[in-house]
Amino acid sequence: MNIDQIKKEFPIFDEKIQNNDLVYLDSANSSQKPKIVVDRINEFYTKQFSNVGRSVHYLAVAATNLYENTRSSVQKYINAKDKNEIVFTKGATEALNLVANTLGQSYLQEGDEVLITELEHHSNYVPWHFLRKSKNIKINFAEINEEGEITLEEIEKKITPKTKLISITHLSNVTGAILPVKEITQLAHSKGIIVVVDGCQGAPHLKLDMQDLECDFYAISCHKMYGPTGLGVLYGKKKWLEELPPYQGGGGMINEVKKDRISYGELPNKYEAGTMATAQVIAFDQSIKFLESIGIENVMKHEADLVEYGQELLQKNNSVKLIGNPKNKGGVLSFTIEGVHPHDIATILDEDGVAIRAGHHCCQILHDKLNIPASARASVGVYNTKEDLDQLNDSINNCKKIFNL
Amino acid sequence: MNLKELYQEIILEHGKNPRNLRKTEGFNKDAKGNNPLCGDNVHVYLKLNGQKIVEDASFEGSGCAISMASASIMTDLIKGKNEHEAKEIVEDFLGMIKENPELKSKYLSEDEKTKLMCLSGVKQYPMRVKCATLSWHTMVSAFDEKTEEVKTEN
Repeated sequence: MNIDQIKKEFPIFDEKIQNNDLVYLDSANSSQKPKIVVDRINEFYTKQFSNVGRSVHYLAVAATNLYENTRSSVQKYINAKDKNEIVFTKGATEALNLVANTLGQSYLQEGDEVLITELEHHSNYVPWHFLRKSKNIKINFAEINEEGEITLEEIEKKITPKTKLISITHLSNVTGAILPVKEITQLAHSKGIIVVVDGCQGAPHLKLDMQDLECDFYAISCHKMYGPTGLGVLYGKKKWLEELPPYQGGGGMINEVKKDRISYGELPNKYEAGTMATAQVIAFDQSIKFLESIGIENVMKHEADLVEYGQELLQKNNSVKLIGNPKNKGGVLSFTIEGVHPHDIATILDEDGVAIRAGHHCCQILHDKLNIPASARASVGVYNTKEDLDQLNDSINNCKKIFNL
Repeated sequence: MNLKELYQEIILEHGKNPRNLRKTEGFNKDAKGNNPLCGDNVHVYLKLNGQKIVEDASFEGSGCAISMASASIMTDLIKGKNEHEAKEIVEDFLGMIKENPELKSKYLSEDEKTKLMCLSGVKQYPMRVKCATLSWHTMVSAFDEKTEEVKTEN
């Protein structure tokens, strides 16, 4: 795998950012876009544009085919059993809201319990909180261990006879912990519990196989996966998507509309009301092609090497404290520096062209648990190199110098 | 962009050892502020005497060097001012942080102006302006006895 070559596929790295070469270490937030994805959006709008699934003219038919083609590519990429198990949404957030909302409408009952974890992003907590408010369901939290992991044993401990659903992240966006999703799903299913996975960090960085994982739902954020913004994917087992009620009502999701009755369309239209993010869906096919051209095994190896290198580098740096030390770790390095607030770190690093994120990363529950208001986070993607992490370390040293540490 | 301008010695010093980082005993006005995007929070306490003059000002909370230094300098120089004077100083400060090249308020001494101007480097960092202004908005809210938490503008 030739990183120089891969980096060349991303036009942003030709740009100078405040006169610096860009050291982009914020891919857990959103990834940069390869040229083929950007070009595909442009090409679709300039040469092929039409709305999909409605008109019979040439452009509409062609656009519909392109749109459905991405659905097939996603199905293949995540090894879903059926093409209709792939639903496009406006993001992973909407995907998780869709699941919580529809399960809340027709499956979860007052007093039922939902088990999530202390690692969850707000988008995998707030939708369940809505049900806590509206349906009086209870939310339980599986707790992290010293290393910032969620173990199978902890999940097992927190399951009660009332647990109806477990909703967990595949890969923590703060500690980098990769959760044993397959084992958790097996355990959950043996007790009749549904499993929802927030795959925002998992999908861009791990090999996905829905038939192997066996989870009931899996939410994907396309913009973190070298794809366009405004697009997410919800994988749902066919039996669930068929059984659950629609999420939003509007054009495209209906079968028949009369003054006194309405029947809903078949999958996947049932969950895709209104005009969808057509150009983004069509361009996302190129993101998958991009990942396939490298091979996810190669991506995983490259990112594991990077994170190991970065971890060693930061561990050796006095006054830097890494958050979490999970055995199975994705490409996330969250840290604090004694005496320097993360926002100050991020501003100082930015001056060298090093883009990281500072704050609570939409994980206030986790930061409360760690007893820190915020952290700094460097996260890697397929285009990063060891030199990027060296620059990170150098800029951290500059930050310490400014703060007289 | 100039980091040295942003992180002047005085900012670093106030950030490290903030003045008035405590809760005023017998305070009669207070308000809370928070920055939902980054989770920073501040609680400002004021004690006004019979003549409505700020006898003591203090704050509790956590945040970056800019926000801590700003709250530290603010609570220091607001002591001895009445509500009218304090609010004019706030306006003057907010104007300076956003656009004005200098401070104009007659209620500020030259020494106080120099101290406040140390925060002017923030101007070049639009994402950080809210760090510098949170405690000031919160103090106004305390004067106005608003019970709602102050949220920083984006």
